[in-house]
Amino acid sequence: MSALQTFMLVVDHDKEEAKRIAEGIAHGMQHHPALESTRSTALLNEIIPDVETKKATLIDTVQSLGEYINDEDPILRGKAISYLTAVISALSPKYLTRQQIQVLTTFFCDRIEDGGAVAGLEVLQGLDRFNRFLATQVAQALFSNFQDLQSRSQTQRFHVYQLLNDLMSNHRAAMRDMGDISLLGVVDIMTGEKDPRNLMMVFSILKVVMVEWDISNHTETLFDSVYNYFPITFRPPPNDPYGITAQDLKGRLQDCIASTRRFAPHAIPALLDKLDSTSPNVKKDALNALIACIQSYDPNTVSKFSITVWEVLKFEILNAQEEFLSETSLEALQLITRRLSEGVTEISQDLPLAKYLQPITKECNEQLHEPQNKQAKPAQSILSCVSAASPVSFTLVVQTVVAPVFTLYQEADGIVKQKALLETLNVLFEAATTIFGQWTTRGEELAIDNPLLEFKDQLSEILGQVLMGAAKEEVSFRVTALKGFLRLSTLRNFFQDNEIGLFVQYLDEILLKEESVGRDDLKKEAIAALAEISKHKPRLIIDITFPAFVATLPEEDEGSDALYLPTLETLAQISVERDIFETLFRRLFSKLSILLQKEQPGSVAYPRAILVTMLYVMQQRNMEQDQSIDLYYSKIVVGLCRDVAASASGMAKNRILNDPTVLDTLGRLCNLLVRSVSTEKQEQVTENVYTLFATSDEFVPLPFNQNATADQERTIIISTYLLAGLPKDSGSRLPYVTPDMSALLLDLVNRSVSSTEPAIHQSYLRHLALLVNKFLSKQDLPIAEQLFDSLQGQSTEPNSFNHATIRTIFWLAKALVLRLAPTTTHILTSLLTLVSSPDQQTSVTAAQSFSIILSEDDILSSTNGATIRLLCRQKLFTTVIPLISSRIREVNTETESITPPHIKPAHLTALSGILSTIPTSLVMPELPTLLPLLLQSLDLQTSNSTAVRKATLDTLAVIIRDNGVTVIDQTGHVQSLITRLLKTTTSDKTAFNTPRLRADALKCLNLLAANQSPPGTAPNARAPPVISPLLPVKAQVLRSLRVVLDDPRRDVRKAAVDARGAWLRGVDDAPEEED
Amino acid sequence: MIPATTTTLTMTEIQNSNPTILDAADLPTRLRSSPKTADHGLFTAVPLPADFDSASSDSDDDNLMEEPIDEQEIYDLISTISDPEHPISLGELAVVSLPDIAIKPTLPQVPESPLQTVTVLITPTITHCSLATVIGLGVRVRLEQSLPSRFRMDVRIKEGTHSTGDEVNKQLADKERVAAALENGALMGVIAKMMETCQ
Repeated sequence: MSALQTFMLVVDHDKEEAKRIAEGIAHGMQHHPALESTRSTALLNEIIPDVETKKATLIDTVQSLGEYINDEDPILRGKAISYLTAVISALSPKYLTRQQIQVLTTFFCDRIEDGGAVAGLEVLQGLDRFNRFLATQVAQALFSNFQDLQSRSQTQRFHVYQLLNDLMSNHRAAMRDMGDISLLGVVDIMTGEKDPRNLMMVFSILKVVMVEWDISNHTETLFDSVYNYFPITFRPPPNDPYGITAQDLKGRLQDCIASTRRFAPHAIPALLDKLDSTSPNVKKDALNALIACIQSYDPNTVSKFSITVWEVLKFEILNAQEEFLSETSLEALQLITRRLSEGVTEISQDLPLAKYLQPITKECNEQLHEPQNKQAKPAQSILSCVSAASPVSFTLVVQTVVAPVFTLYQEADGIVKQKALLETLNVLFEAATTIFGQWTTRGEELAIDNPLLEFKDQLSEILGQVLMGAAKEEVSFRVTALKGFLRLSTLRNFFQDNEIGLFVQYLDEILLKEESVGRDDLKKEAIAALAEISKHKPRLIIDITFPAFVATLPEEDEGSDALYLPTLETLAQISVERDIFETLFRRLFSKLSILLQKEQPGSVAYPRAILVTMLYVMQQRNMEQDQSIDLYYSKIVVGLCRDVAASASGMAKNRILNDPTVLDTLGRLCNLLVRSVSTEKQEQVTENVYTLFATSDEFVPLPFNQNATADQERTIIISTYLLAGLPKDSGSRLPYVTPDMSALLLDLVNRSVSSTEPAIHQSYLRHLALLVNKFLSKQDLPIAEQLFDSLQGQSTEPNSFNHATIRTIFWLAKALVLRLAPTTTHILTSLLTLVSSPDQQTSVTAAQSFSIILSEDDILSSTNGATIRLLCRQKLFTTVIPLISSRIREVNTETESITPPHIKPAHLTALSGILSTIPTSLVMPELPTLLPLLLQSLDLQTSNSTAVRKATLDTLAVIIRDNGVTVIDQTGHVQSLITRLLKTTTSDKTAFNTPRLRADALKCLNLLAANQSPPGTAPNARAPPVISPLLPVKAQVLRSLRVVLDDPRRDVRKAAVDARGAWLRGVDDAPEEED
Repeated sequence: MIPATTTTLTMTEIQNSNPTILDAADLPTRLRSSPKTADHGLFTAVPLPADFDSASSDSDDDNLMEEPIDEQEIYDLISTISDPEHPISLGELAVVSLPDIAIKPTLPQVPESPLQTVTVLITPTITHCSLATVIGLGVRVRLEQSLPSRFRMDVRIKEGTHSTGDEVNKQLADKERVAAALENGALMGVIAKMMETCQ
């Protein structure tokens, strides 16, 4: 059997084998230089005595086709041609001579309708020796033989387009020189094409024609050939292997429509017509295509249609039905404005841009006659988008709009109207900012003058008059003026400094002199405005606002009405800029110094407020980069700590620095600064953690001081904050840690278990935890673990401890668990035995303390470099939850009550404490075990179970929100959950449901109805027709909630209305049908 | 007639395309008389050390204080309903306003009766608005869903604000006609859409 016959046999079922055969033939040809001649064939025979090789000449190969290529059966003919194609595809690109290519091309062109011929031509046109003449020949053959292309299969059509596409890219000049022939040929061939894959290629072929051919004779034909496809309504089938989306097609089609300005007379009216469509999607496509055209056509062409476009888009904007349509329309208007501004240097009313803007500004001016009406807002948006397009358009708009607005303003018959007009001006100010920038904008200034400058005095007068002259209760009117004034004050090169200064004075006056009105919106805006100005003109704030504000700060807090609080708050919010902050600091520090020297300094709230103000601003700033950090360090950390030491020794003029709240705030300030200062300074702090920079004859440090007074004990607050700010490696250089930390830790524990003042006790606990968690070296960990065990063992009665001791045990445990000490499991188990204590007080306190372990802490925090291992949450959860769960089961199944009644609630309390500090992702896998426990927590109907139930409802809310009803349904607890939630919503006096609990239970009910489909599924995704698991309880829920609508508390009623609404709307009898 | 109203819903033409709009910030709201006097966020952000220990301090969380349902609460329930023509709330369009809401005992001669009647007067944006009935129904449905059963609803068009106000009022007051209207799927669809924006 010949190679050809074999090929024809296998080609249908084994493409690979067929290819191998063809390659074999090709291989044979190429291994001999002159295979065509009969003589060389003989030679070849000597070299490769192979039957296949002997036949392997091109002529032989062609000749061997002889009997098949004229066969009546087109399939047979096709196979024969494919054989030839397969052979030449396998040849190296340099092998065929020019003459052979020519012969083969002619051969394939003659046979172009037979299968494989197109593929053969495809190979040939890619060869170097294929010339433009041949390209023309192939194109001709395609155009004349494939008039009926659309009746052929998709694959065949695809190959034809592919050949055409390759001719276009490899032989474009030849194709272009064919002129109208190729233009019409392409259009004829593709007309009627519907397959998305083919269309992708057709569009890109056509785009080349549109851009590079002379299309003047056939513009409309060419335009229609693509525009017929508009709008694209294609929706890819599910699991489409080709991955062509509607958006891909839309993009290519849009490129064609926008490809040449010659289309403009056809494209723009046609696209505008499509805006009459009732389908928002069609309108969106039309608008996007329009934008593409405006972007691509030249300004002259755009200009011709600009007013027509405006006339149509006007309706889309003024009567907006869909927001995205009006937004896209505005985008189109802005783009036209920008295109028409290109290259314009002189402003005149004869510009095409000016002619385009005239009807726009006219329409907007008309709408603004009734500025409080609905369509005034879109008119403002139009002005905003066209004026912000370019400096020229801004100037033209300002010239035609501002003066009429002023006139309307003067004639306006009410504040509502005036306010709406001011809003219009604000829109223009915003556009001005876009064009001209702010004071802080870098880069070149525009050559063109700001046209608003002409109206500067008028604007300043009107705005000032409204801001300061309008009735005090017209808050939103005044806020509008304030916002306008602020815009103009930050606008680059607009106001002089003294004009901005006037505005600053107005703001000062509002903040210092005016009474509060309503929600205090005006004051809030005034503070924000001062803060904004401080970025642009800090000097004005320092020179005007500071003296005015600081002058109102009292020498001391005399009365009950702390008027200095709003002043300090304002100062804090406007002082984030560096220069301003340093000024603020100096002024506040001197106030504080004076207070500290007074015999009768008034309430400690005032010095504390001053410290909070400093703290607030420092938290907003990056203190490590602050160049004045050393000043703050020496004044606050060194100076004030020394004062604290003096106060503790009774050597101060007053007791400000003996107050725990003042000390706590000062401590936070020190903590922040210690973290930010240089290593050298941190070492100073390390040495002075307990001495507080005082000399030994002035102050006795607290540790091991057995006779310490309460005043001296309180210095532990400052010491703790200092310690927290130090780097981890300072552990070995701390005082009292040689040979090891055990003595210091024991001293702290002894103080802690007997401490009675809460602030001091808290500091002991944190101090202890910091040392153990952050500074204790790994090899010294047993010291802390032994301390923990000895604390556990030293109770007088079995498992009975006082409150302070239990807290100490838990804080020590916290320090160890967070760093995952080797004995973590042992520690956690020991803590649970405390919960099982027969002593009710011990059990309850221990249960409540479980939330301490993982809860965030301001001092033992990662900011302060505490060792918090990622896995500690997991560890705690997996160790403790099974123990709690089995203990509760044990209690539940007891036939006789041998366990004291407090044990079960205590375990549920511990559980809720842990759950409140654990991310739900950890909780979810354990939900089947946990949910029954949570439901039992809701059953605790006693007054002291409020906290547990609150925590449980919080946990449930998160579970429902993140995972939907499905997870609850899977555990089979929907009904029991609903019953308990409803029980928690009753305001019955016997039910012990606080308003907070009732509202939280209602929130859970609301979330259930709102999260019926699992998260992640899009709301409009085709949901499987399942019946909601909530349906069986719908009637029960609606009935019960109707009663809750009469709850005595407003917040609860609101939650009930929302929950009921969610159930009415969300829980359907039948799943909705999609159309 | 209510069925007639439902056919107007399919009309695409808008009856009042340019109504007057109030600024949302100017609408009446309940001022939270915050018991924590000085609401200066800055100073409450830094906890006092005594706060640390008392994790569960729900001090104002008692059952003693009663807050009866008042006009503002009714206003808050209905002012966020959207107009069927515009995506704008009835409050912003001034279709409902606080002074036009009244709560009175239903049986003043029986002082111990808990029954209350809520009267809401509706001001259509234009006097010939054919959607007035739909708006009235929307308000009614919202109140029925949100108020306890001891409340009676009286939703009416404000006198002199609508050309066929009496006709509309008759429809809104007729229980059977209201019930029939609520069986109408298309109408309920419109009302459900109006209530989507309720907060």
